[in-house]
Amino acid sequence: MSRKRVGYFANRQDPENICSRCRMCELICALHHHAVGNPRRARIQVILLGQGEDIPVTCLNCEEPPCLKMCPTGALYRPDPEGMVKVQKEVCIGCAMCVNACPVGAMTLDPVEGFAAKCDLCQGDPQCVLYCPAKVLKLTDAGQMAHHRMKGFAEFLRNSGEDK
Amino acid sequence: MGSFAGGYAGQILYVDLSTGSLQKKDLERDFALKYIGGRGFSSRILWDELEPGIDPFSPANIVILAAGPLNGTPTPSASRLTVAAKSPLTGALGDANSGGYWAPELKYAGFDAIVVKGISPEPVYLWIEDGIAELRRAKHLWGLGIHTLGERLKEEIGDETIHICAIGPGGENRVRYACVLTDGESAGGRCGIGAVMGAKRLKAVVVRGSRDVGLADPERFKAALDSYRATIDGEAWTETLRRLGTPNLVAHRQTLGIWGAKNFQRGTIEGWEKISGEAFREKFLHKVMGCMGCLVRCRRYSIISEGPLAPTYTKGPEYDTINALGAKTYITDPAVILRAHYLCDEYGIDAQTAGSSIAMAMELYERGILKKDQVDGVDLAFGNGGALLHFIEGIAYRRGFGDLLAEGTKIMGERLNAGYYAIHVKGLEVDASDPRGYVTRALTYSVATRGSCHLRGFPYIDEFIKPEEAEAFFGTASVSRLEALEGKGKMVAWSEDWVTLADLAGVCKFAWYRSRSFPMLIKRGLELMNETLVAVTGLPFTADSLLRCGERVYNVEKLFNLREGFGRESDYPPQRFFQEETPDGPSKGAKLNRADYDRVLDDYYEARGWDKKTGQPTPGKLRDLGLA
Repeated sequence: MSRKRVGYFANRQDPENICSRCRMCELICALHHHAVGNPRRARIQVILLGQGEDIPVTCLNCEEPPCLKMCPTGALYRPDPEGMVKVQKEVCIGCAMCVNACPVGAMTLDPVEGFAAKCDLCQGDPQCVLYCPAKVLKLTDAGQMAHHRMKGFAEFLRNSGEDK
Repeated sequence: MGSFAGGYAGQILYVDLSTGSLQKKDLERDFALKYIGGRGFSSRILWDELEPGIDPFSPANIVILAAGPLNGTPTPSASRLTVAAKSPLTGALGDANSGGYWAPELKYAGFDAIVVKGISPEPVYLWIEDGIAELRRAKHLWGLGIHTLGERLKEEIGDETIHICAIGPGGENRVRYACVLTDGESAGGRCGIGAVMGAKRLKAVVVRGSRDVGLADPERFKAALDSYRATIDGEAWTETLRRLGTPNLVAHRQTLGIWGAKNFQRGTIEGWEKISGEAFREKFLHKVMGCMGCLVRCRRYSIISEGPLAPTYTKGPEYDTINALGAKTYITDPAVILRAHYLCDEYGIDAQTAGSSIAMAMELYERGILKKDQVDGVDLAFGNGGALLHFIEGIAYRRGFGDLLAEGTKIMGERLNAGYYAIHVKGLEVDASDPRGYVTRALTYSVATRGSCHLRGFPYIDEFIKPEEAEAFFGTASVSRLEALEGKGKMVAWSEDWVTLADLAGVCKFAWYRSRSFPMLIKRGLELMNETLVAVTGLPFTADSLLRCGERVYNVEKLFNLREGFGRESDYPPQRFFQEETPDGPSKGAKLNRADYDRVLDDYYEARGWDKKTGQPTPGKLRDLGLA
């Protein structure tokens, strides 16, 4: 069983199959978790790199999560060993050490309530994946991601073979 | 949210640049119910608080940036901002509408609108974060182009996630049609709102917000969202807009022969395939882009990577910039058009009026009315891309002939005694298409309350509505016949009330107010819009009360223009459309008929409850709308 995460799969040959910066993922995430409009409360964020490059980033669901290791109160816990790290809001003191520890910045401090907040895959049906109009977000795992990369490389090998 | 259950922030920020004072005022429930938001707020506040007859560059002018109740919610395509002032280009009501991400951020920062008065003694920018506003020195930022300004502000504030509404050198130099740009790429283009900001020495309004925008009934909202989403795939416009963006209209214009090419001397363009939606997609498209929450994604992000104009990275092009910078000037080099689009953004000038002004000058040059030594020694013939790029810069810095071009076509016409070649209504240049063969389009463009505008109404209904639908809805099947005149005035008036709702709520017309199915126009633009507004705000809007809001806003705008001296004669298309036939192509021979136009204008005034001679709303109409 492979650990699940929401992954970003762009096809850079297809201008309609790359992140369009619509930020619907952010909007729907905050709607789902907090019933408001507030993309800064989303557990997925679109990062603007400039010159037309935009990439959504969210929790990788690490095998050995630095956030979990860092938490001084035990507010972070992983009830299902295969599942995501979750937050007990009543225990969390909002120190943000977990925010600092996450290598990809996926742990957030909720700007309204002040507690740690992160992707929880929406009980297995991630809303960002469902609502993304570019269809570049997928519920995935490392095996699928590796396969995707291998396929790209395999195509390259095949195409190089045809040139000879 | 103040006293509102959702949608509204409940606060308007008042800024007096002359004294440096900042003040928060509560948004009144009654005001929200009657005007909804966005352009409704800006038009009513300008009507209430602006003295008539003032110089738009004086401290007495007011700039308003207004969001609607849906901005900031997960409503699809609720991205749009209205900026408004008395226009220095027209002297009438001026406003522009910009997409992107700024209006939602204003809501997250705790405000529904910003009202700016006075003139700052020194250049400033307004910084707003989570309910707190302050004016900051901007002398070191004055003179910067839009893109460099964005980088500097992010460095200075220390945050890349800010959102910026700014002017470029065009606004600073009071080009009469200087625009505002949000986040360096989304233009609030027309009417010169950027020039008013420049006169006020307001370089930018920068926002950052982390507050909630509430939803009165989240479950009802989610259902409405999903209902809207279900309409996306079935609507033909979705795919067309996603695939080609607004440039899809290039082929349409050529097919019908309704370009206003060469300053409205031609209906078709030789070499048009080079500047079609397909051509831009093939040569320059990096990816499609969507404004905040948009499921359609009509925007383009383009890159010129080879040739003399490389590298150019830009949002765009749009049909309107291809039309203004390519069709009007008869330039069919797509790289030049894209570069010109980018420069209009960088300098902060409206591409429409810039292209129109240069095109008018090109015609005057070819007719010998303008001589080479008057136009910087440039061979200002149609098709000269180098001239276009030269004068865009000249306009922004008011250099050489650019100084006259910076005044717009109406003033150019007055100064050069060549008013016939100035193709505008009320001083705002005709965009979109040549309406000589389409009297309902001509009417819509000409009665639009900010000057010639294709967005103020929706005249295309008579191109696709079915006879039985026309009968049921407008009382006559004649509305379904393109060439018929009966009922068209009423149709245009209704379409204005209806499409204005987009500007009040803060949503994009392409996502909510476009279809070639009349039932779909009603379903999305009225029924789902009503459902969404009620679910978000908790206010008791109905489809009827919404249309009354659209009508009310339109009447306030008419009152504003009447007060500034714009009577019935200002609701006419340019003389050229009545006098000259389209000489070529599928629309060869098209010409507006004066008697026909008078008739539809009469019918329109009657449908609106306005005096036929003056355009003045009757006392009965004003009482009906609560404006007496």
